Amino acid sequence: MIRLHESTETTLLELAKKKVYLEGNIIKLIETDSKEFKKYLVEAKNKDSDTRKRRLQVTKQVQSQNKELTQKQSENDKLMEELHIALEEAKNAEWEADKLREEAERGKEKALGDLDLMQRKSQFELIGTIVKVALFVIIGVGTLTTVMYGMAIAYDKETQIIGSTWSNMFGILLTNAFSIVGTIMGVKYANDSVKNKEE
Amino acid sequence: MINSLMLIDDENLFHLVFEDACSLLDITISLEALDSSDEADRKFKEWFPDNESDDRPECVFVDLNIIGSSYDGIEMVRKINYEYGNGCVIGIISSSQDEKEIEKAKKVGAQFWIIKSDDIEPRLEEFREDYDGYKNRTAPFKVYK
Repeated sequence: MIRLHESTETTLLELAKKKVYLEGNIIKLIETDSKEFKKYLVEAKNKDSDTRKRRLQVTKQVQSQNKELTQKQSENDKLMEELHIALEEAKNAEWEADKLREEAERGKEKALGDLDLMQRKSQFELIGTIVKVALFVIIGVGTLTTVMYGMAIAYDKETQIIGSTWSNMFGILLTNAFSIVGTIMGVKYANDSVKNKEE
Repeated sequence: MINSLMLIDDENLFHLVFEDACSLLDITISLEALDSSDEADRKFKEWFPDNESDDRPECVFVDLNIIGSSYDGIEMVRKINYEYGNGCVIGIISSSQDEKEIEKAKKVGAQFWIIKSDDIEPRLEEFREDYDGYKNRTAPFKVYK
């Protein structure tokens, strides 16, 4: 504890008239015998306490607001991070979807190509079969008629009917043979044109 | 009343709260607030154990997590107790109530644990009542909730 000189006490009392008081913990350390200065010390202490109370209240408010702000900032950061992750996931999903769509398109194109190829193959197979059958028929009928005509000549039989039949038959067969060849060439040409257009 | 008290806490705003609360509750005559354990460490190196200077604090409150410092509160308490002479009343002040941390603090010689919150005054008042026990080393470890 400390004791102030009487003149100092008087000076402080004079200053108190101008509302200037001692502040802080030093007030708690001062001892005096003067009733007037004791009253001054009580007043100074009360003023100091009031100031500190007000400051404490404000500081606590600021501290609380600060805490809230920090908390909100942390929540915001967390949300931003989540948003960022969601965006990344959406981007990845979009990329995956694009990839899948491309794969599906490629699959579709391949399937269409395969179908076209299969159709062409069966078309050519059918044409081949028709040609073979037609040629066998032409050769068969031609051979049969020729053999019959030859035998009629060899055995000196009546050849007028068989001759004209052979002649007509041969004409018809040749015409049909050319017609078949023409049809085959036409189909082949049409297929090649379609293929070129697709490419 | 405590002659001199030291607060080691990185939160400057809490320095003001603590200072005003201590003054209103007549807990201490002199208060020194530091915001890093490194600074406290440097000061304690000067004060303890050979040079028992009057500058050394009678009581020390250490925050558990001192951001930006080399040591946390528990390590600071350990250093003061085991490296610098164990000559003061020392404890932790923290918003944490983690039992493991409290146990660690007890092990390194902390005498009390004060929960830091907006309403610190009732706990400091209770601490003031128990202070003589801590000073005489008769009071057991206590958590002020």
